[in-house]
Amino acid sequence: MSTDNHQHEPESKKKEKKKFHRHLTKYLTERDTVFATIWVFIFIFVLGSIPLNLGVINPIKLSLKDFDSNDMSYSKLGKAKTTPPDSNIVVVNIGTIDREGLAMMIDKVASYHPKVMALDAYFSGPRDPAQDSILRETFAKNPNLIAASILQLSGKEGDTAVERGNYFKTAHQFAYVNFFQDSISTFRAFEPFYEDYAKKKYTSFSAAVVKAYNPEAYELLEKKGHHHKVLINYSRHPSQYLTVDFDNLMMMNESDSAIFAHKIVLFGYVNNDPNDITDKKFTPMNKKFYGKSVPDMNGIYIHANIISMALEKNYIKKLPSWVNLLIAIIICWFHMSFFIHYYLESHIWFHLAAKLAQVASAIFFVWLGIYLYDKYRLKVDLKLSLIVIVMAVDVIYFYEAWAVWMHRKFKYRTVFKPHNH
Amino acid sequence: MKKLQFFILFTMIAGMLHAQNTYMLYSYKGNVSVVDNNTTTAAKLGKTLSANAIVKLGNGASVTLLCNQAAMFSFSKAGSYKLSSYTDLCKPGKNSVSANYVKYVWAQMTKDHGSPGSNRKAYMNTVGAVSRSINNIWVDPRLDTVNYSTGAFPLSWKSYASADNFDFKLFSSDNLTTPIFQKEVHKKKIPIKDFTSAMKPGNTYYWSAAIKGENNEELKVLHYYSDDDFQKFEKKLKAQGPESETEAQQAYRLAFMLEDAHFLSEAFKYYQKADELDKDNVLYRNTLMSFRKDYELK
Repeated sequence: MSTDNHQHEPESKKKEKKKFHRHLTKYLTERDTVFATIWVFIFIFVLGSIPLNLGVINPIKLSLKDFDSNDMSYSKLGKAKTTPPDSNIVVVNIGTIDREGLAMMIDKVASYHPKVMALDAYFSGPRDPAQDSILRETFAKNPNLIAASILQLSGKEGDTAVERGNYFKTAHQFAYVNFFQDSISTFRAFEPFYEDYAKKKYTSFSAAVVKAYNPEAYELLEKKGHHHKVLINYSRHPSQYLTVDFDNLMMMNESDSAIFAHKIVLFGYVNNDPNDITDKKFTPMNKKFYGKSVPDMNGIYIHANIISMALEKNYIKKLPSWVNLLIAIIICWFHMSFFIHYYLESHIWFHLAAKLAQVASAIFFVWLGIYLYDKYRLKVDLKLSLIVIVMAVDVIYFYEAWAVWMHRKFKYRTVFKPHNH
Repeated sequence: MKKLQFFILFTMIAGMLHAQNTYMLYSYKGNVSVVDNNTTTAAKLGKTLSANAIVKLGNGASVTLLCNQAAMFSFSKAGSYKLSSYTDLCKPGKNSVSANYVKYVWAQMTKDHGSPGSNRKAYMNTVGAVSRSINNIWVDPRLDTVNYSTGAFPLSWKSYASADNFDFKLFSSDNLTTPIFQKEVHKKKIPIKDFTSAMKPGNTYYWSAAIKGENNEELKVLHYYSDDDFQKFEKKLKAQGPESETEAQQAYRLAFMLEDAHFLSEAFKYYQKADELDKDNVLYRNTLMSFRKDYELK
């Protein structure tokens, strides 16, 4: 009796397994599945090729314009929360101090022998002559200080650059602090280098710091950033960088020199008040990863994150577009097979099954993207995959009509029949 | 053999010494001092502390420490913290993004978000105006002066701003600057019983509530009566009733008169008693329910 049961159970399980397997694979190799998949991509291509901005009145498209599901991992899933602070970098908050005070801060830090100092503030013109003179002198006597400049682009192609904000010419090195992107978008990437029409190369602020601190790390950055934007791997919140303000700095003496000695010291404006958005940018670390929000991170911490990334060599790898396309095709193909199965054989459940599959797939693929990003720093663009899953259901209706018409006209072999359901 | 034992002992001691955590003062706010090697010094950013150091925090101060260049932790409540008692915090944090994702998706799928139209309590806290020296706390004028003898009665307030944490402070009448009791509360009320140990019967006290981090200079009065004094007063009230009064009627009358005399905790007791004695009386029931609602007695 018991032996009978034992023989029975595996068989029923096998049957169930087979049944489930059939749901997914029965139509997998049908030409209809393949052609319906192709039609999904034709639709996406055609809709994407319309030269009109149809998203102008589409609130979903507008609200998701800057959306990246990986941002959720910072704001909701605790990514980077436990990253240890970067002991190579110290941020000095310059606040709203005047030029004389700034010179005093730089000189004081310089006396503790940091390896590199970088000032994330630019000066467009003269102010008080006495103060200007002091700061000019400070710039001149600190060869390890990198000063900020801004690149002003002109010309039809934007390939003529003029350096601005470098009023004090005594600095030994200038580096641009521009980010080539919309100021209200999330800062996800930066250009380490800029080449003008004459192939003159300009180095960005962060890249200049990396070069001065660790030439080996710079070589890799140069390789990655040659004519390319580099994705920023945000590994630390502002609180994970040691930040020293004016009062702290003035209280320090020679015994505290270890804080700065042989390190990178970044001078920049820091404000923890969420209502003060001076020099604050939107980053993936924003507490709100969708919808309306306020900028969350001071520019100096974005530079700090870039420098940390370059020094730790933990760049984000991005999958090539063709791989993303291939993934989308495979996902679409499997979904199409599953949907066609329900469409033809259990039509009454088709919409329910399709919606459930769409929700489950969306949750799964968002997780997959987040997992790969968190674990392997691999950025997979699964947006297209999610779009094809959504579109597949609608395309089936079109495909059925097309296949039946083709069958009547050209004897096209299809599993769809008129009034099949 | 002895040499071997000595070597093992030496290795163990060396290992223990090596395992000692080192701390760095990473950031601080307010009045923070450090006791290290029996020397007390003011907190200094970047200061290295030994495993046996003690960090002392004044009111409103906070400190973040970095342990072994790997783990960060903070203290934000006033008090003394012996670092050797917090070695567990030196372990680098483990964080599973995948597990958090599952929790987040599940929480979002099962959470009822409500809407401004249906959940007035949650959505009517957004204020469309600036504050000009008016604090964000409103106390019902009926709680302006409270006479109290016994019972679990709360002091409550309303907040114009969206806040989860409030500072409750109790002052004695001879010192209105340093509170004799203070507590951070997460609700907009605090039972008087929570701080009766800080008071002496027969005295007058002042209290205030403020959103955490803000100041509220508006003080309310709390008279703390001894049991004897209250009983004398209660006896007087009892004697004022007509002879034909039932027990329920008397309880209701006493409750009304006690409420009028600001003995709110005691009034509540009598409203409950009246309701229990005459359960069919709609007036008693409604008055009790209103009283509960008005004074946040849930």
